[in-house]
Amino acid sequence: MRLSLDIDGRTHEIDPEHGGAQIAAVEPGVYSVLMDGRSYEARIEQSDARIVVFIDGYRFEVQIRDPRRWSRQAGRHGAEGRLNVVAPMPGKIVRLLVAEGDMVEAAQGLLVVEAMKMQNEMKAPKAGRVVSLAAREGATVAAGDVLAAIE
Amino acid sequence: MFRKVLIANRGEIAVRVMRTLREMDIATVAVFSDADRTSLHVRMADEAEWVGPSPSAESYLRIDRILDAARRHGAEAIHPGYGFLSENADFAAACEAAGMVFIGPSAESIRRMGSKTAARQMAMAAGAPVVPGAHEALAGPAGARAFARQFGYPLLLKAVAGGGGKGMRRVDADAELDSAFRDAASEAERSFSNPDLYVEKLIERPRHIEIQLLGDRYGNMVHFGERECSIQRRHQKVMEECPSPLVAAQPGMREAMGEAALRVARSAGYYNAGTVEFLVDARGDFYFLEMNTRLQVEHPVTELATGHDLVRLQIEVAAGEKLRLRQEDIAWRGSAIECRIYAEDPYNNFFPSPGKITRLTRPLGPGVRLDGCVHDGWIVPIDYDPLLAKLAVWSETRQSAIARMLRALREYDVAGIHTNITFFRQILEDEEFRAGRLHTRFVDEFLERRKPFAPPPDLESIAALVAAFHSARSAPRTESAQAQRSRWLDIGRREALR
Repeated sequence: MRLSLDIDGRTHEIDPEHGGAQIAAVEPGVYSVLMDGRSYEARIEQSDARIVVFIDGYRFEVQIRDPRRWSRQAGRHGAEGRLNVVAPMPGKIVRLLVAEGDMVEAAQGLLVVEAMKMQNEMKAPKAGRVVSLAAREGATVAAGDVLAAIE
Repeated sequence: MFRKVLIANRGEIAVRVMRTLREMDIATVAVFSDADRTSLHVRMADEAEWVGPSPSAESYLRIDRILDAARRHGAEAIHPGYGFLSENADFAAACEAAGMVFIGPSAESIRRMGSKTAARQMAMAAGAPVVPGAHEALAGPAGARAFARQFGYPLLLKAVAGGGGKGMRRVDADAELDSAFRDAASEAERSFSNPDLYVEKLIERPRHIEIQLLGDRYGNMVHFGERECSIQRRHQKVMEECPSPLVAAQPGMREAMGEAALRVARSAGYYNAGTVEFLVDARGDFYFLEMNTRLQVEHPVTELATGHDLVRLQIEVAAGEKLRLRQEDIAWRGSAIECRIYAEDPYNNFFPSPGKITRLTRPLGPGVRLDGCVHDGWIVPIDYDPLLAKLAVWSETRQSAIARMLRALREYDVAGIHTNITFFRQILEDEEFRAGRLHTRFVDEFLERRKPFAPPPDLESIAALVAAFHSARSAPRTESAQAQRSRWLDIGRREALR
C-alpha cells in the first residue's frame, strides 16, 4: 500500500514497509527524521493543498495525490450516530484490541497501525458499540480506509 | 555622560544602539510609527513615544515630532542610526537648536559632504586621490590622448550634457581614440544638441572599499581600517567584510587609505563617526568616492575585527569626552563577514517578501553575532526596507570565517516568508568569492553563472516521507481528529526517544 507524491515532476511512492525511518514531530510543522543512522530536520509550510518541505534550507514543493479527499469523505458522518475510524496514513494493522460488537469507551484503543516504522494506536472517537471492524491483523491499509465504525 | 538618549530610528539599528546605551547605564527612549507598535525596539526601550502613522514621511522623518518626543521624555541626546534623518543637516541643526546633542557630526559637515561635487573638490584639496578626469569639454581627440598618456587606458569619453549612457564611449587604445571621439560627439550632438565631451579614467570592475573613522571635537581622529563592500546588488551592499582580501594582501594599503580618509575628514572639520568610500582598481590604486556622515549598516564587521564598540565611542565623543584611542591602539585581528538578511525571494528576482514570520530559529554558537529586530510571529511590515537582520561572524582567517558563516546560515531558519539566506550560501561556496576576487559587478556576474540551489540527492526522498507523514497527521478525520493528532504526536516523540 503506497502513497504517491510528486516533487518537481518526479513521483515518489512512499512505502511505509520499506522506509526504516523514524519521524518525530518536534513542534507544529517541524519534524525530526532518523533514517539509516542519519538525522534530518524538516519543516513544513502548508497553504491549502500545497505542501512545501524545507530541509537544510532546500525547498521541496510536494503534490500529494490526494489521499485527503478520500479521508474527508470517509470520515464525514455526524457526531451523532455512526462514526468511522479512518486510517490517517498508509500502514499495516499490527494488532486488534477489540472485536466487532464490543462496547467501548471514548478514546479507548481499538487497534494498532504501524506506519513508517511507527506504531500508532487508533482510538474510539466516541463511546458506543463497534458495529464494524474492517481491519484484519497483518493487513495493509491505505490512507483514508475505514478501519472501524462506532455507533 | 548623558542620562537619557532618544533613538530616532527603528528596527535592528535602534536595537543595536539601545544595547550599548543599556551597557552604559543610559536610559533609552524609542520612537515608533503605527506599524511598529509591537516592534522589538519599542519593547526593549525604557520609554517609548508614538510619532505618527506607518509611512516614514509621517513618522520617522518628522523632525518636529521626534524633537517633541525628546523634550517630553527629557532626552539629552539623539542617536539618528542610519537612513531616515541620519544625514539630514537640518535635523542635526534642529537638535542642537533645541538644546539636544545630535550624536553625529556637525550640521555643517553633513551639508558639505552631502554634495558629491563639493565633496570631490574637498577631497582633491586634501590631497586624496579622486577618479582622474577633466570635467570640462575637450577641444578634440588630442586632449583625450594627452589624458591617456598621463593616466593610461582604458578611458571613458562622456558627454558633458549627458546622461543615461548616451554619448559615452569606452576607449582601450590610441588607435581607437579618433573614431570613438567622432562617434561619441555625434551621438552627443544628436541626443543633447551638444557635441562636447569630457574624459575620465575608466576603473574596470572596481572594488568598493571604505574606511571607518571616528573623531572627537578636539581634533583627535583615528581610522578603524577598511571594509570591503564590493558584494552589491543594484548598488546596495549585501555582504561586507573586514579585512578586505585585497587590502590584506597589499602591505601598506590600509595605512595609505586610512591616511587619505583622515585627511579628507580633517579638512572638513569632521567629528564623530564617518566613513570614506573609495573605488579601488585591480592594482590597488584607490579613488575617493564619497563620505557617509553616519554610522554604517555594516559597522559590526569593524567592531568584530577591532574589538571596539563604535556606538559607544560615538556616544562618548558626542558627550564631549576626548577620544580615548590613538591610532596605535587600533589593531585588527582575524576576519569578519556580514550578510544582510532580507525578506526577499532570491529565486524570484529578489522580490520583497513581507508577511508573518511563522517560525524563527536563530544561528548561535562561537563567533556569531546577530543584529536583528525580528521575532517569531512578527509581521514584516511593507512600509520599510526589508532588512530582517545582519548576521556577522568572526574567525581567525577569512577561510574559517566563510566556513563559520556557512554553518550559521544553515542554522538560520525563517519560516513564513522568503529570505536571501540560501543566496548567501551559494555566494560563499563560489570559487571566485572564496579566492577574494571581488568587484562591484560580482553579484551580477554571479547570478549569470549560478547553478540552481540543488539539494543532495538523498533529501528528496526524506522530503517526500515527511510530506506524507505531515499530510496524514493533519488530514481532517472524525470529530476526534484533534485527539488523534496529539496522539500521533505523542507516539512520534516516544519513538524518537527510543
